[in-house]
Amino acid sequence: MAGPLSGTVSERVAGLRPRPAGPVLSGTLRLAGLLARRALLLAVLLVTVFVAVELLPGDAANATSERGESAADLARRRELLGLDRPVLTRFWEWMTGLPTGDFGTSARGEPIADILSKPLPNTLLLGGLALLVTLAVSLALGCWAALKPGGATDRAVSATATGILALPEFVVAVALVLVFALWTDLLPAVTLTDADGTPASWRMLILPVLALAIPQIGWNVRIVRAALADEAKAPHVESAVIDGLPRHRVFTHHLLPGALPTVAAGIATSTGMLLGGAVVVETIFNYPGIGSVLAGAVTDRDGPLVAGVVAVTGAVITGVLLLADLVRSWASGGRI
Amino acid sequence: MDITRRQVLWAGGALGTAALLTACSGDGDTSSKAGGGGKPRKGGTLRVGALGRASAITRDPHGTQANESDYLIIALVYDTLTAPGAKDNTAPRLAASWKSSADLKTWRFKIAEGAKFHDGSPVTADDVVWSLKRLRGTPSGASRLPGIKAENIKAEGKDTVVLVSDYANAELPLLTRLSTFVLKKDTKEKELGKAPGTGPFKLDWFRSGNARLVRNEHWHGGDVLLDAIEVKIFESPQAMSNALLAGQIDLASNVGPVAARTAEKRKDIQVVRRPDDMAMPIIMRAGDGPFADPKVREALRLAVDRKAMVKQVLSGYGTVGNDIMGTGDPAYASDIPQRGRDLAKAKSLLKEADFDTSKTYKLMTTEDVPGLAESATLFASQVREAGVKIQVVKQESATFYDKTWLKADLYTTYWGTNDSVLFFASKTMESKSGQNEAAWKNKEFDAAYREAIGAKDADARAKALTRLQQIQHDDSGYLLWGVAEGIDLAAAPVHGLPKLPGYGRVQLERAWLAR
Repeated sequence: MAGPLSGTVSERVAGLRPRPAGPVLSGTLRLAGLLARRALLLAVLLVTVFVAVELLPGDAANATSERGESAADLARRRELLGLDRPVLTRFWEWMTGLPTGDFGTSARGEPIADILSKPLPNTLLLGGLALLVTLAVSLALGCWAALKPGGATDRAVSATATGILALPEFVVAVALVLVFALWTDLLPAVTLTDADGTPASWRMLILPVLALAIPQIGWNVRIVRAALADEAKAPHVESAVIDGLPRHRVFTHHLLPGALPTVAAGIATSTGMLLGGAVVVETIFNYPGIGSVLAGAVTDRDGPLVAGVVAVTGAVITGVLLLADLVRSWASGGRI
Repeated sequence: MDITRRQVLWAGGALGTAALLTACSGDGDTSSKAGGGGKPRKGGTLRVGALGRASAITRDPHGTQANESDYLIIALVYDTLTAPGAKDNTAPRLAASWKSSADLKTWRFKIAEGAKFHDGSPVTADDVVWSLKRLRGTPSGASRLPGIKAENIKAEGKDTVVLVSDYANAELPLLTRLSTFVLKKDTKEKELGKAPGTGPFKLDWFRSGNARLVRNEHWHGGDVLLDAIEVKIFESPQAMSNALLAGQIDLASNVGPVAARTAEKRKDIQVVRRPDDMAMPIIMRAGDGPFADPKVREALRLAVDRKAMVKQVLSGYGTVGNDIMGTGDPAYASDIPQRGRDLAKAKSLLKEADFDTSKTYKLMTTEDVPGLAESATLFASQVREAGVKIQVVKQESATFYDKTWLKADLYTTYWGTNDSVLFFASKTMESKSGQNEAAWKNKEFDAAYREAIGAKDADARAKALTRLQQIQHDDSGYLLWGVAEGIDLAAAPVHGLPKLPGYGRVQLERAWLAR
C-alpha cells in the first residue's frame, strides 16, 4: 500500500538537486499543489483497493456467513451489506462519507471508525517510536562511520548495516522474543492492553519497536553514511577544511546540513516500510494495531474496512512525505 | 498492571461472600489433571487468551461470531437455554428442564428458578421468546434454530417457552446449546454491547476485543469462584503460547498441538487435552460420480493409514476414527470393530468396482482449521499406495463453501460438534437432510434414524443407534480417519477447567486459582 507513495521518494533520493528559494507565495502555491497531488494519488489508491478486494474470490457476505446458510440467506446478507450494487457506487458512497468522518460499517456491522479508533493511535505510537529510534541510531552510527572513512569503525558499521538491512522483520522479531522474553525473561513476550485500549506497560513496546527499527536502521545508516561521504567532496566543505575551521564545526555546520535532505528523504521512505512491517510485527507481538485489522479485513473481503485502513495509513505516509519535502526544501534553500 | 481501588474492593467483596460459601465441592469431571489442588478456593483473576481478529469483532450475541474471544465473552455474560455436558451431551443452563411432545415436534423449555439478569430483574418467558425470535431473524437464523419458524416460538406462562418444529426433531435441545443467548426483551441494537445478561460473569469493560468480566454473585447456576476473568484477544496461537510461557496469561484457550509440544517439557504448564474436539472427515460423494460405488468408498477407507494420519497431522493429539461421526457421544458404538489398513483388499475392491486408476482425482481442501490441508496431502500420498492418484487442491474458505461444499466428488470438511451421533445423522446423512455432504441416500439408515429418535424406551433407542452407526460405518460417504483433541495450555495454579470438546471449553464458571 505504501508502494506508489514511497516510490516517488526513492527516486528523489537518487536524483537530488538543490532547489532555489522562491518567494513565500510561490512556496505556498507549490505546497498546495503538492498536497492536491498527494490527495489525488490517495484517492486513486483507494479506488484501486476497493476494486482489488472486489476481484478477490468470494465476497464479504460469503466470508462472514455461517456454514449452512442457504442461498437465500446469503442473498439477504449480500443485500444487507449492499453488495448487490456496483462496486463504484459503493465506493462513491463510502468516499463521500469520508470528509464527515464517516468511514462506513464493517462487514460484521461494527462502525469502522470504532474499529480503527484504538488500533490506529497504537500503530502510530509504535511506528513513531520506531522512526525516532531509526533516526537517532542511524544518524549516530552513520556519522560515527563517516568520521574516518575507510577506518575500522566505518567498515564494521557499514558491513553490519548491510547485513541487518537484509533481515526481514519477522526474523528479527522472533529472535527478540526468544532471547529477551522466553530465555532471559527480561521483557514481556507480547503486548496486552488495558481498559483504555493502550498497551498495559511501556516495557511491552520495547521489543516491537526494536523489531521494526532494526532493519530500517540498516538501510538508513547506509544512506547517512553515503550522503556524508558525498557531501565531504563538496567544494564548500573542502574550503571550510582548508580555512582551518575546527572539525566538529565543519561537521555540524557544513557537512550535516548538506546531507540533511538526503537523510530526510531516506527516513521518509522508511515510514512506508515501517507501517508495512507493522503488519508482521504486530502479529508476532500481538500488538493491538491496525496491522491485524488489515489482515483480517482482507480475509473477510471487507472492502470498506481495507480502504479505511489504507486511507488512514496513506494519510499518515503522505503527511510524513510532505514533511520530508519541506525539510529538504528548507535545508537546501537555507544553504544557497 | 494497575491495581485499582476497584480490584481491592472486589477482593473485599470476595471475603464477605466467602462467609456465605458452603463447602461446594465442585463436580468431579471438571477438576484439572495437574496437582489436584485440593479444595476449590474463591478469588483471583484468571487471565485468558483466546483467538480472534480485530477486524472480525462482534458484540452481538446473535451475530456471526468468527472470534473465539468474542464467543468466550458472550458465553460468560449470557446464558444459552442448554449447554454442552459431560454425562449427557446436553446439560441445563438457563432452561432447567425440557420436555417434548410424543411426535417430537413440540418442545417445552422451563426457565431455571431464580434466574435474574445482571440488573436484578427476573428472566421471563417473554425475554426468552424475544431473544429466540431475534436469533431466528438473523441471516444465519434458519441454521441456528433449524425447523423452527419465528411464529412458532411462544411463551406459556411466566416460565415456559414452547418451540414447535416443522418436523420431528429429537436433537432440538442439543441444537440450542450454542447460540440461544438470552437478552432482555426489547434490548436496543445500540445497547447490545452493554446489555445485561444472566450468565456467571458481568461485563466490567470491553475494548477492541479485550474484556474484563466480574463475578455474578447471584448466578442461578451456583457459586462462581473467580473474582474476575480477563479475556485477551490473540491473532495468532504462536503469540498466545508465548504469552502463556512468559507468564502474561494463565490460560491459552484452544492454542493447538504445536504449542502443546513446546509446553510438554515445562513442568509449570498444564496441557489440557479435550478429546473429540474437531473431526476432519474426507467426503466421498455417494450420490453420483467416481465414488458412487460403495466398494470404491470402502477401498479408500481401507487405504488410509489412520495411525499415521493422527501422528503426523495432529502431532499425536487425537484419536483414530472408525468412519462414524459423533465420536464423543455417550452412545457412540465403540464395539464396532476398528477398520484398519488393508492395501491388498483395497486394490481388489477397486478392481471389482472397475475403478479407473489411470485418472487423477481432485481432493478439495481449505486451511480453515489447523491440519486440514495437511490431512489431505498425507491422505493423497497414502492412497497412492493402493493405486489411486489424487491431486490436492487448496481453496480459499469463501470459494470452498461457494463452489465445493456439498457439491464436489472428494473434499475435506470439519465439524466441531462431535458429541452426538444423531446430530450428524439428522444434519448431514439422513436422505432429506439439508447439508447432506456426500449426497448419500440409504433407506435402512433413514429407518434406523427414525427409530432412534422415536424410540419410547432406552433399550430400543440404543439398539437403533447402534444399527445406525453400523450402516454409517459400512456404507456412508464419510472417511473419518481421526478426531483432533482440543488443546488448552494453563499455568499451574489454574484448576477446574472444562474438559469438554468444542465450545464446552468456554465454561469457565467453575474454574478457580490455587494462589
